[in-house]
Amino acid sequence: MAAAIEAHGLTKDYRSPVKELGLWGGVKSLFDRKFKDTRAVDGVSFRIEEGELVGFLGANGAGKTTTLKMLSGLLTPTAGSAAALGFTPWRRQPEFQRQISLVMGQRSQLWWEIPAQETFRLNQAIYGLSDADFRKHLDELVELLELGEHLSVPVKKLSLGQRMRAELAAALLHRPRLLLLDEPTIGLDVVMQKKAREFIREYNRRHGATVMLTSHNMTDVVELCRRVIVIERGRLLYDGPLDRLVERYADHKILRARFHKPVDAADLARLGTVTACGDDGATLQVPREKVAASAAEILRSYPVADLNVEEVDIDDVVRRLFTHT
Amino acid sequence: MRKYAVAYSIALQETLQRRSALIMDRLGGFAVVLSLYSFWDALLGDKPSFLGYTRAEMLTYVLLLNVLRSFVFTGRGWQVVGEISSGRVSSYLVRPIRYQGYALALDLAQKTVHAASAVLEVGLLVLLARGHVFLPRDPAAWLLFIAAAALAALIFFCLEFMVSSLAFWTSESGGPLFCFELFLQFAAGAFFPLDVLPAALRQALAATPFPSLVYVPARVFLQKVPPAEALNLLAVQAGWLALFALVSAALWRRGVDSYAAEGG
Repeated sequence: MAAAIEAHGLTKDYRSPVKELGLWGGVKSLFDRKFKDTRAVDGVSFRIEEGELVGFLGANGAGKTTTLKMLSGLLTPTAGSAAALGFTPWRRQPEFQRQISLVMGQRSQLWWEIPAQETFRLNQAIYGLSDADFRKHLDELVELLELGEHLSVPVKKLSLGQRMRAELAAALLHRPRLLLLDEPTIGLDVVMQKKAREFIREYNRRHGATVMLTSHNMTDVVELCRRVIVIERGRLLYDGPLDRLVERYADHKILRARFHKPVDAADLARLGTVTACGDDGATLQVPREKVAASAAEILRSYPVADLNVEEVDIDDVVRRLFTHT
Repeated sequence: MRKYAVAYSIALQETLQRRSALIMDRLGGFAVVLSLYSFWDALLGDKPSFLGYTRAEMLTYVLLLNVLRSFVFTGRGWQVVGEISSGRVSSYLVRPIRYQGYALALDLAQKTVHAASAVLEVGLLVLLARGHVFLPRDPAAWLLFIAAAALAALIFFCLEFMVSSLAFWTSESGGPLFCFELFLQFAAGAFFPLDVLPAALRQALAATPFPSLVYVPARVFLQKVPPAEALNLLAVQAGWLALFALVSAALWRRGVDSYAAEGG
C-alpha cells in the first residue's frame, strides 16, 4: 500500500520574538529582533497508509496542531522531512493543495454575509472543478450533511452545527485525498457530533481518503479510529491500534459486581480500590495481574448476582497518559 | 484568472449585501465633499481664479475628489490585517490561490461599488452647481484620466497591502495603517489641491508616490498638464506601481515564511 504521509524526525521550533511593548517596540523588532525558541514538535516520525483514518492525540500544547500545519504546508519544519501524497507540503505546490484539505474547527473559510453556496462557487473556481464535477460533489455533500435548505441562507444566520456542516462541505468539495481535521466536532452538540462523525467515516469509506484527526472528544477517536498516534510535549509516545493503547497504558481493569445483599466496602478494599459501593453492587479498580484472583475471591466470598470485568475507559487512559508523563 | 473573477463577483454581492454600511459610508463621503464644495465656493466668492485654477476648475477638483477618493482609497486593508492577526489567512495559504490577487479582486469589487455611487453623487452636485464644472471636451483627456486613476488605485492597493502585511510581525499594525491612510490622503491632495502648500513642501511631496494617487489624475482631468507631460506622469505612476508591486509581494512572501500560525 502506498503511503499517504511519511514523516521523519519532524521538528518544529517556534521562534517567538521577544520584543519591547508598544508600537515603537513593534517597529524596532522589524530591524533588530530577538527571539526565544520553543520546541513544539520534537523528532516525530510516522507513516500513514492511503485510506487510513488515524486519531492524533495529545494534551493541549502537545504539538498536534503544529504537526497538522506542517503536513498541510502552512508551516516549514525546523528539521526533519515529510512527504504527503508524494509532495513536500511546505513547498505549497498547487497540485498538492488541490488534493488536500485542512479543517480547523474554530476557523472558518465561509463568507459571513452571504450564503454558503457562494463560498462553494469560489472553491469550485479555486480548485478548477468542472460544472459537472462541482454539481456531483455538491449533491453528494448536501445529501450526506443534510445541508439542503441551508445553502441559500446567509452564513451568519446559520446555527453553529449548520455552519460546521457547511464548513466541512466547503473543505471537501474538491474531494481531497488527504483530509487533516483539527477538532472537527468542537462546539457541536451531541447529536451534531454524531452526525459529523458518521459523515467523516462515510467520506473515508466512499472515497478511500486518508484522514488524520485531532480531537479532545474521545468518542470521536473511539468511534472513528482504529489506529492512534499519541504525542506529548512534541514527542511521539505511542503509535498503534487504539485497543493496544489501553492494554499498554492502563495498569488496572474494572470489576463491576452486583450483589444479592449489601456488602462491606471496607472488606472489599483488600481486593482493589473501591470506586463505588452501594446496596446492590460495587465497582473496583484491580491491578491487571490480580484480576483473575480477585474475581475468583469475589465469586467465592460474596453473594454475587452478576460480575463483569471491563477495560478502563479510553478517556481515562489518555488522561492518565498525559498526567503521568 | 477565473478564480479571481469569481472572488470579484462574490465580493460585489457581499458589498451590496451590507446595505446599511454602504449607505452610511456614502453619506459620510457625500457630507465631506459637500462641506469641501461649500467651503471652496465661499472662499472663491467672486474671484475668477485662485492658485491658477478657475472657479469651475477648483470646484471640479473638489467634486472629482469624491470619485477619486471612492475609487482609489477604498480597500480592505483592515480585513487583511484582521485575517493575518486572527490566523484566518491560513485557510487561503493551504488553497491553490494567490492571496494578493484574491485581495485585489476583493478591493476592485468594493472600488466598483463606491466609484459608481460617487459618480451618481457628483452628478447630483453638478446639477446643483449649475454649470460651475469643468468637463474635458477632448476624449484623449478622458482616456488619460481613466488610465491615471486606474494606476492610482493599483498603487494604493500595493501600498496598503504592504502596510497591512506588517501584521505578520506586529499585532499593532492597525495603528500604522490608520496613520498611513490619514497622511496619505493629505499628501495625495485628497483634501485640497497640493498647489495650496508652500513650494518647498510641494517639491518634497513631488518626489514621493503620494501625489500620483489623487493630485495627478485630477490635474490630468482638468487638462492642467499638456498631453505629453500627462504621458510622462503616467510613466512615473507606472514606475511607482512596479516598485510597490515588487516590494509588497516580497514583504508578503517574507511574512508568510515567518508566519507562525498562532496556536498549536
